[in-house]
Amino acid sequence: MSDGERLPLVLAADDDPLILELVQFRLERSGYRVITATNGDDALRLAREHRPDLAVLDVMMLGLNGYEVTRSLRADEETRDIPVILLTARVQEADVSQGFDAGADDYLTKPFSPQELRARVQAILGRR
Amino acid sequence: MLQLLAVAAFVLASSSAVFLAVLVGRRVSLASREVERAELRARLIPVALELVDGEGVPSGKLSRREEEALADALGELSKLVRGDARARIAGFFAGSASLRHQLAALSSRRSWKRATAASRLGDMGSPTARPALRDALRDPERDVRAAAARSLGLVGDAESAGEIVEQLADGRLPRGLAAHALLQIGPAALPRLRELTGHPDEHVRAVVLKLLGHAGDSSDAARAEQALVDPAAGVRAAAAEALGRIGTAASARRLRVALGDRIGFVAAAAAEALGQLVDREAGPALAALARGGGYDVARAAAQALGRIDPDGLRRTAALDGAGPHLSEAADLLALDA
Repeated sequence: MSDGERLPLVLAADDDPLILELVQFRLERSGYRVITATNGDDALRLAREHRPDLAVLDVMMLGLNGYEVTRSLRADEETRDIPVILLTARVQEADVSQGFDAGADDYLTKPFSPQELRARVQAILGRR
Repeated sequence: MLQLLAVAAFVLASSSAVFLAVLVGRRVSLASREVERAELRARLIPVALELVDGEGVPSGKLSRREEEALADALGELSKLVRGDARARIAGFFAGSASLRHQLAALSSRRSWKRATAASRLGDMGSPTARPALRDALRDPERDVRAAAARSLGLVGDAESAGEIVEQLADGRLPRGLAAHALLQIGPAALPRLRELTGHPDEHVRAVVLKLLGHAGDSSDAARAEQALVDPAAGVRAAAAEALGRIGTAASARRLRVALGDRIGFVAAAAAEALGQLVDREAGPALAALARGGGYDVARAAAQALGRIDPDGLRRTAALDGAGPHLSEAADLLALDA
């Protein structure tokens, strides 16, 4: 197994390519491998194919939204343990609780701090 | 005659050909500029990402076009990030040619240029643009004012809070945009908002109370309680709405009195607020209103009762003569369960 394959793998999904670039840039600089998807269906497919160590999902995506992808991950024996951080522009209390109800482990509101994202990813992966 | 027609046809055909050539040339030039722009962007996005990440400024001298492309990329990124990353973007633009260019464009005779400049200055996040943006907030064109308000929110300019509130109240600014700008200014806007609770215009008072409900805290409850007896019904309703979020035990007592307001939407707002505060003492009064109040009041009272005492609501709704609103609230509870 090469060094690259031992690095934790993060799945990032967002329909805004610039956000994906930002998340990918920050996490790769922090020593993670990153795979990306621009919609919920692709995110779910990639999660099943690659079993990432963590997923960072936008809530409002084309196709399946972030809540639905999280619920689908939790419903599948193979992917239920993948931690999920939701990235959301929605900051109402009800939206946050909907995310946790769907099975998310954490959430970040947009606009977000890339350093904070790194810290949250590190905190979740460090706990495992 | 025939010769004249032939000459006319030739002139027409020639001018059409020239016109077509100009159009094609323009199209090609625009397309190649677009391709160049996309290439520049692709090349400079990683530079912008490094800059946002705190890995230093780009090395080497950038051409004017490269500088513009980098400014555009950073402008796009500034909408996505906050904290240190955003501060670094502002630092990059401080004193830059791009900043000076946008400040100059605020004086353009074309309103779309002024609006674009006002918007870009917000993305740049530079505090030095604040005075110019405050001037743009008084621009005769609504689009320019809206862009300026958005940008003043982004740069957190507390000094403009009063003007934004007044324009929100009289419709000179789009409501959602102005309210969002004020919430972005955040706690820094609160002192000015508090002063405005005594504004002579009732619309301004109402808007300010609603905003205090979102951005204020329990120290603002006393102001909102006083506003429950404001002569304007819209202000009383806004005060009740705010107290639903920031109210205290003392506020609940005042809200119970407001249940008897002669204006239905004020009483309905008071009922809703009591539900949000989960004020058990309001139970009997809410139950009575839910059975016999006007439509909006009864509906709000029944739903507030559902928040305060769900079991009590189910029991009351099951009684004969409970009325449609209690039944509806009980059905909604069942749906939520």
